[in-house]
Amino acid sequence: MMHCTMDDLLALRAGEGSAWAREHAAGCAVCRAELEALYQRVAQLKALPARRPARDRWPVVRDAVLAERRLRRGRWGLSGLAAAAALAGLLVFRPFWSNPIDAAELARVKQQSATLEQQLQRYDPDARVTSGRSAALAAVLEDSIAVIDGELAQLGPIRAQARPADLVTLWQQRVDLMEQLVSVHVTRAAYVGL
Amino acid sequence: MTISLAVPDILVARAKSGDLEALEALYRAFETPVYNLALRVLRRPEDAEDVLQETFLEVVRNIKQYRGEGHLWGWIRQIATSKALMRIRHDKVRETDELHEESAVGAGVSGVAAAGAMGGAAGMSPGAVPARIDLERAFEQLSETSRAVVWLHDVEGYTHEEIAEQMGKTVSFSKSQLARAHVRLRRMLDEGVSR
Repeated sequence: MMHCTMDDLLALRAGEGSAWAREHAAGCAVCRAELEALYQRVAQLKALPARRPARDRWPVVRDAVLAERRLRRGRWGLSGLAAAAALAGLLVFRPFWSNPIDAAELARVKQQSATLEQQLQRYDPDARVTSGRSAALAAVLEDSIAVIDGELAQLGPIRAQARPADLVTLWQQRVDLMEQLVSVHVTRAAYVGL
Repeated sequence: MTISLAVPDILVARAKSGDLEALEALYRAFETPVYNLALRVLRRPEDAEDVLQETFLEVVRNIKQYRGEGHLWGWIRQIATSKALMRIRHDKVRETDELHEESAVGAGVSGVAAAGAMGGAAGMSPGAVPARIDLERAFEQLSETSRAVVWLHDVEGYTHEEIAEQMGKTVSFSKSQLARAHVRLRRMLDEGVSR
C-alpha cells in the first residue's frame, strides 16, 4: 500500500495537500499517525526552552557605537578643521617656506593620508561588524588620529611659527596610524571572508 | 519559548535619536530571542553570541531606517536571520557535514509512513514523539542549512518563499530541505538519537 511521503504530510499540514493525499490520509491510520507526529514535533520545537548568552555582548556593541561616534566627530570636525587650516597655511605661507624638500614631503604624506582614507572607506568600517578586540583596537587608533588632527588644527593659528618639518612629522604620524587602522579592517575582512 | 516582544513607541523613538539607554533597553528586550534564533540555527553558543553582537550593531546603526511598519521584532529578526545565514554561507568547513547528510538521507523522503509502519528501532508507534531532550539533540544533529530551514519555517513562521529569498535559493530547495530534515528527525528519534 502506498503511503504519504513527508512532502505530502508537510503539504497537508500547510493545507496544500493533493486530493489524493487528503483522501488517503483520511482513511489511513498510519499516515494520520505520521501527520500527528509531525504536528507534535513542530509543537515541541516551538516549546524548546529559551537559552541565554553566557556573555553580555552589550558592552562591545556600546563601545563600538561610541567609537564610531568619536570617529565621525573626529573626521567631520577636527579633520575638516585641520584640512582647512593646512590648506590656508599652504596658500598663505608657501612662499616663505625655505626648504622645498619639506614642502614636497608634506605634500607626499598628505597624499598618502588621503589615499589611506579612501582605502578605509572601501572597507566601510561603519557598516561592518568587528570583534570586540578589533573594535577596541580600532577605537584606540581612531582616538590617536583624532588627537593628531587636533594638533594639526591648532597649528593653523600659529602656523607662522610652524615649520613644514613639524607638519610633516605630524602628518607622517597620522599616516602611520591610518596604516595600522586599515590593517585592522583588512585583517578582519579577510578573517570573515567579506 | 514565550517572551514578550512588545516595546513602547517612546522607547523606539528615543533609540532612534541615539539615546544609549534606550538602545540598551532594546538590546535587553530582544537579546534572548535573537540569541535563540542564532543558537538553534548555528548550534555553537559562541557563534550565536557573535550573531547577537553583529545583529545589534546593525540595529543600532540603522534604527533610524526602521519606519515602524510591522513589529520591531520582525525587523530585528530579519537582520538576525540574515547574519546567521551569512555565517553559514561563509563557513566552508561545515559543508562536509551537509554532504554527509545528503548521502545519508538519500531517497528517504518518500515512503516515510511505510517506514514508520514497520516500527522504529526503539519499537515506538508511528505517532509517538519521544521526550523533548531527544528532539533537541536530534535537531542539533541536522546540518546548519536544514536547521535553518526547519527553525525559520516551523518555529519562526517564515514562508518557503521568504526562506528561499533569504538563502538565495529556490522555493523547492526550501521545501525539499524541510522534508529531508523531518525525515531525518523522525529517523533519529526512532533510533533514539544514538548517531
